[in-house]
Amino acid sequence: MTAEPLPVSSPKSKRTEALEERPVNLDGFVEEWPEVGMVAMDSPYDPAPSVRVTDGVIVEMDGKPRAEFDFLDQFIADHAIDVSVAERAMSLEPVEVARMLVDPTVTRSEVVEVAGGLTPAALLEVVKTMNVVEMMQALQKMRARRTPANQAHSTSARDNPVQVAAEAAEASLRGFRELETTLGVVRYAPLVAIALQVGALAGTPGALTQCALEEATELELGMRGITAYAETISVYGTEPVFCDGDDTPWSKAFLASAYASRGIKMRFTSGTGSEVQMGNAEGRSMLYLEIRCILVAKGAGVQGLQNGSISCIGVPGAVPAGIRAVLAENLLASTADLECASGNDQSFSHSDMRRTARLLPQLLSGTDFVCSGYSAVPNYDNMFAGSNLDSTDYDDWNTIQRDLQVDGALRHVPEEELLAARSRAARALQAVFAQLGLPAITDKEVEAATYAHGSQDLPMRDVLEDLKAAQSVMDRGITGLDVIKALEASGYSDMARTLLSVLRHRVSGDLLHTSAILTPELETLSAVNDANDYAGPGSGYRPAGERWREMKRLRHVVSASNPEEEIG
Amino acid sequence: MAVTLPDQVELDPGRDYPLAAHRPELLRTPTGKPIDELTMQAVLSGDVAAEDLRISPDTLRLQAQIAEQVGRTQLARNFRRAAELTALPDDLVLSIYNSLRPNASTKQQLTDIADRLEREYSATLCAELVREAADVYERRDILA
Repeated sequence: MTAEPLPVSSPKSKRTEALEERPVNLDGFVEEWPEVGMVAMDSPYDPAPSVRVTDGVIVEMDGKPRAEFDFLDQFIADHAIDVSVAERAMSLEPVEVARMLVDPTVTRSEVVEVAGGLTPAALLEVVKTMNVVEMMQALQKMRARRTPANQAHSTSARDNPVQVAAEAAEASLRGFRELETTLGVVRYAPLVAIALQVGALAGTPGALTQCALEEATELELGMRGITAYAETISVYGTEPVFCDGDDTPWSKAFLASAYASRGIKMRFTSGTGSEVQMGNAEGRSMLYLEIRCILVAKGAGVQGLQNGSISCIGVPGAVPAGIRAVLAENLLASTADLECASGNDQSFSHSDMRRTARLLPQLLSGTDFVCSGYSAVPNYDNMFAGSNLDSTDYDDWNTIQRDLQVDGALRHVPEEELLAARSRAARALQAVFAQLGLPAITDKEVEAATYAHGSQDLPMRDVLEDLKAAQSVMDRGITGLDVIKALEASGYSDMARTLLSVLRHRVSGDLLHTSAILTPELETLSAVNDANDYAGPGSGYRPAGERWREMKRLRHVVSASNPEEEIG
Repeated sequence: MAVTLPDQVELDPGRDYPLAAHRPELLRTPTGKPIDELTMQAVLSGDVAAEDLRISPDTLRLQAQIAEQVGRTQLARNFRRAAELTALPDDLVLSIYNSLRPNASTKQQLTDIADRLEREYSATLCAELVREAADVYERRDILA
């Protein structure tokens, strides 16, 4: 029987109309186009794995003789790949290495050693044999630090320092161990960086802060002790795009040493899709290029990497298997024995279902930082162009943690504690600004920042005066030490002591090791003293004891003894 | 004051890390103060300057030893390069970084930087990195 062809202008079904209304259909999807690199991880133009070693030097890699190496090839061959195991590791079938990754009886260090001998194309072949569940199983073993953590974005659409201080206090209280800010108006940076630092001290102690800026400026704020770590050190997977970013693997390696020479924690940033977005993917898959970035980070000797597509998530998100490739890049960063701050930090989808699905692989496996920027402010205030999660998602996040008994490193905090911390942060900043001769913060602003949801709830500041003052912070050479003195002089002795302790960690260098964070007791926790020991069921990190009790608390939980009562 | 060189100290990552908690006696500021002297009292009386809140080359070499013992070769090498850079003023560090950007320097300029690193600061590992960059930049045509 032949179906009657429908007239071209036939009306849509009610079903189709309902589906058309769904938010997911506002997202962008494109067909694969391997010739320009619009392909996640399976391109006919990716090279086949190969390696040849002569006298301890890699003379051929992934089908290319050394004379034809571009600068990434050469840096990776000479600095990242362990030549002593390369030929043995490369003789393994990709699926054998993939099985080692998944098998809990093979230790993390055994996998790290073998993977250290693999070329970019070989690492790609390994993850191509794995589905997402296998990758998640592998990631929970390969994450460097045993205890997962989380990072927040604390920004303001008006670069309002008072708001940033209050948000930093709330974020640290909710559990974030790193807080990142950036600016709408870059010249505001010194004031907002000081606000972030002061605010963080008013919550749970030990949250490290950073201000994302152009490389040289970011380093300067770090050297002054106004920020505690840095992350916006971008690397790219092709030579032309690396040069467009005005860097090379050697300049970035030097920068890594520069940060360490001042005792400052630092990680690189990269992600699938950046090369195709910047118009020069050389016809390679997004994941192949990202693997080159991971190995540049490894070769530079930087302790960690922020990856998982990051600000380019729309690109892998638009192609088939793109989110699988994003998980693969987190897995391979961890397998390269790097700290992994695993993305989930950029607006990704209009669909709540889809943005949750994109989050689950990192949340369920656990990573060093599940989000490398959970927006601790409403997305309209997020100056990183929005995140996959924002401050209206806190209760959902806490509920998912409780439902699945999975530690996403956040907790529910009662209203009165949040208000006390937000108010204290704003008051302390008011005092610090007064001590340092910066533009006054009024009591009205303190009050507004305490109860605000976003920048629209705060009074406007005199931006010109603030910008002049920001310049004066730089000209007068104000440092973290001046902030300590200002806090102490205004009666915030506990906050002053905490900041001194954070800065004193620079002298010890303990925070320079892989995956280092500070605990609320201001002790260093890293992949050295908290190495991931996952070895199958019953082993590794599992939320228990006090942490599990904390995770059971939500905004509304009915009391077992009195159903009329809610315990908070 | 008896000086213990980092190479004379045998560290055990399991026992000694974090150094601030377990081996504070090994930690000094670049100005020679023991880490325990970085107290609030000292900050308020002006005895602590910004230079005191920095890491010393010896400490970086101790941390390099720890990184090596837990199998992190590249991280350790980075710490050893960093140990050399502690002697350089901030603006010189920034200017060398800028010189290493693509199309920013001639081969001679990079060679001069490497020579200066070696001669004035005994920064042999950093000099090696800069010389290597000069060769690669020449081959890949990204010199000024």
